[in-house]
Amino acid sequence: MRSPIIQCQQLNHVYSGKVALNDVNFELDAGEPIGLVGPNGAGKTTLLSILSGFLRPTSGTVRLFGHPPGAAQLNGKVSALPQDARLDPSFTLIEQLVFYARLQGLTTQSAILEANRVLEAFALAEAAHEKPGVFSHGMAKRAAIAQALIGKPTLMFLDEPTAGLDPVNVRTVRSIIAEQSSATTFIISSHDLTELDRLCQQILLLENGILQTEKIQINDQQTATRFITLQMESCPALEVTAKFQALEGILQVTNPQKNEFIVAYNSDLQPNMDLQLMQCIQTNHWQYRQLSHGKTLEEKLFFRD
Amino acid sequence: MPITVNARRLIEDNTMQPGFFNHLLLICQFEIKRGFATRKGLLSLVTFTVIWYFILLYPLRFAAELLVQENGLKQNFSFFDFIGFSSIQHWSIPEFGVFWHFALMIFPMLSITLAADQTCSDRERGTLRFIVVRSSRDWIFFGRFAGVMLIQALLIVATTFSTLALVLTRDATLVASALPDLLALIVNLILIVLPFTAMMAALSAQVKSARQATLWAILIWTFMAGMINGLAYYLPALDFLKFLIPGYQLSGLAQLSGWRTLQLAYIPLLQSLILLALGRWIMTRQAL
Repeated sequence: MRSPIIQCQQLNHVYSGKVALNDVNFELDAGEPIGLVGPNGAGKTTLLSILSGFLRPTSGTVRLFGHPPGAAQLNGKVSALPQDARLDPSFTLIEQLVFYARLQGLTTQSAILEANRVLEAFALAEAAHEKPGVFSHGMAKRAAIAQALIGKPTLMFLDEPTAGLDPVNVRTVRSIIAEQSSATTFIISSHDLTELDRLCQQILLLENGILQTEKIQINDQQTATRFITLQMESCPALEVTAKFQALEGILQVTNPQKNEFIVAYNSDLQPNMDLQLMQCIQTNHWQYRQLSHGKTLEEKLFFRD
Repeated sequence: MPITVNARRLIEDNTMQPGFFNHLLLICQFEIKRGFATRKGLLSLVTFTVIWYFILLYPLRFAAELLVQENGLKQNFSFFDFIGFSSIQHWSIPEFGVFWHFALMIFPMLSITLAADQTCSDRERGTLRFIVVRSSRDWIFFGRFAGVMLIQALLIVATTFSTLALVLTRDATLVASALPDLLALIVNLILIVLPFTAMMAALSAQVKSARQATLWAILIWTFMAGMINGLAYYLPALDFLKFLIPGYQLSGLAQLSGWRTLQLAYIPLLQSLILLALGRWIMTRQAL
């Protein structure tokens, strides 16, 4: 029998008269990372806070593995990276991580090992005996992510995990998520759509506290109309658009941003449109930077027809 | 991130779901560590030790010496009757009588400051979120309350024993007769700080900082006492409401000595239960 790991029914939350979540209903199964996107103030952090047990919804029910958030049965199963939360400045980093691991049920010896493991993963081993008060923003963020990785959580909520991190650490976070995604289901809230595009197979879109009913799949290539996103080097946009339009099977060419073209085509008429486009580029002595199948996540989410 | 096989296996082998008391103990231990092994905790302890040293050395020692001298003179009039502290003379060991009066004032005040930051700073900083995904709000609330109570109990024990040391420097033969009174003092003082700590636990679950918690405690304490006294004056039927004020029994306690002080123990116990229930209710509903 299918048992979703997250069930939200008629979830509503109101902050001092302002509706943050409006009748949110969804069920999620364990699996590949799931992105949670939406504009500022859409209710992403509120939703993650309710799922993590930091906030009580005004009305509605939430179940994680069949239990309400914060239930003792979820200890060690669910972990979270809350937005803007900081560690206690009175204790060293290792003291706090060992304490958290102990709360998750690890013995002192294995808690120390586990704390050191997550610190090493984020190059924080040298800061283990320092207090978080002296940490830079990036270090504090890495420490906060490190605590979320303690133990073997099967469900992890990450609120803006890469915000404020340098590219090396962004890569580390991405590789950790990719590596652990076979055992852990990640729910990632982020404004970095490129990041989500790489990591997630499914996207939840929140707008004004309302969850869009259609879950957006990253690879939606079932229909005959397909898309190619083309990043060009500096080029004459009007000429490029006109030349592409003239190709057989082209339905529409748009130029949403400088040097970026989205080509809609009929795959039944022209299954090898990528080759046709490259040939056209070569014939006209233009330079391209990147060609990718499908629309970017940004286009899919915010510039839908 | 490479996860070493041995470390992983160790985690799997040693992971168990800790129960209520295990969590309570872990959180309580962490609070004791905060009280005795952090810079802030040590600073508070050193300040308390210095204040207590001076109380012990001057008012307590001088008052006790004066009492011993008065007892020797067998006069009908006492300086302590004059300042309203006649009950000090009911204690078989004068130092304990003086200690009792000082402790009745100092420990509630200490409790209001020492127990003010049970959850508020951690909630405002977001640290509580890291803990709440691993532990229930009840465990955090009661674990921290127990930790702060233990710290205060240790301070109470340390101050009573330092007073005993003062007694023994005067007369070492008093050790046997001093021990029952010493135990009565410790039990009573722990009971006295119990509702104050519970009140701070409830306030800390609601307000944003330790300073706010302390200010609210003073305001609530003052206004509640004033209002209830006023109401009881016009409507004597409401006199029972006085039982809700933490420290209501202190003036009565000052008149008692030895184990008789436990006659009023039900008041702080009842107050603590009510305040803890209120604090738990706030904690479970508070946004973190």
